[in-house]
Amino acid sequence: MAVFRWGHSWDAFHDLEREVDRLLQSVNMTFQGLRFSRQYPPVNLYELPDEYLIMAEVPGVRPEDLELTIASGVLGMKGRCVEPEGTSEERFRRQERPRGVWQRSISIPDRVNVDNLSAEFTNGMLKIHLPKAEAAVARQIPVAFGS
Amino acid sequence: MSHEIARTTPVPQPAPPPPVERMVFTPPIDIYETDEGLLLRADLPGVSLDTLELQVQDNKLTLFGRMQPSIPEGAKLLHQEFETGDFLRSFILSDEVAHERISAKLNHGVLEVLLPKAPKAEPRRIQVRTN
Repeated sequence: MAVFRWGHSWDAFHDLEREVDRLLQSVNMTFQGLRFSRQYPPVNLYELPDEYLIMAEVPGVRPEDLELTIASGVLGMKGRCVEPEGTSEERFRRQERPRGVWQRSISIPDRVNVDNLSAEFTNGMLKIHLPKAEAAVARQIPVAFGS
Repeated sequence: MSHEIARTTPVPQPAPPPPVERMVFTPPIDIYETDEGLLLRADLPGVSLDTLELQVQDNKLTLFGRMQPSIPEGAKLLHQEFETGDFLRSFILSDEVAHERISAKLNHGVLEVLLPKAPKAEPRRIQVRTN
């Protein structure tokens, strides 16, 4: 029986290759983390002819944990991403999803009719409609002619 | 004549618009050990049941989700912090997972996949016989 075989002598190499792969994958993960080092939740703002639209990515928030407020031109969003009851920390093999309580405030421009805000929550996306205020109608100003 | 042909042959459908280059994201996941097996959770905001595909081939579990936020036509983007795209991630399943009993659900943009433990093979004694 051959004690030394060429084929097997490369095994260590394959192991190294696997190790490097794993390392690179973990680097990739840190980049993912960068996505969340910014303000949470990330929002996009769109403009439509009659309204502004805010879209926020809030996966995993239960509707009852979501709180939207409007006061003095500031829109407040508050929520929490929680693990179900009885989830113990040491049983996690991997933990990448953001967790905890979050809060974000967004200033709303004056041109928004704050009395008619509405919001929908579907598939972990929060969509807030901000209807535009009636544009101030140009008025004629009578000019009195002095004699 | 050409009219005749046009009537009998199926009208060619207009070619679909060229696919727009979409971003592909790696969704963040949690893997949690339970008594029944492993629980995998992935954040997939904007993905609905219709745009989610979950597949097991050999020992690889692949999830693919298409983000479809309902942005009305003609909306002008003023400020952007996230991009629309697809979520893709795959996992190598260990032999401990009972592939045929994998189940999944999608709730509020979070996919939850239950990977049940396969029952351990009991050591079996093999009778050795002689002729």
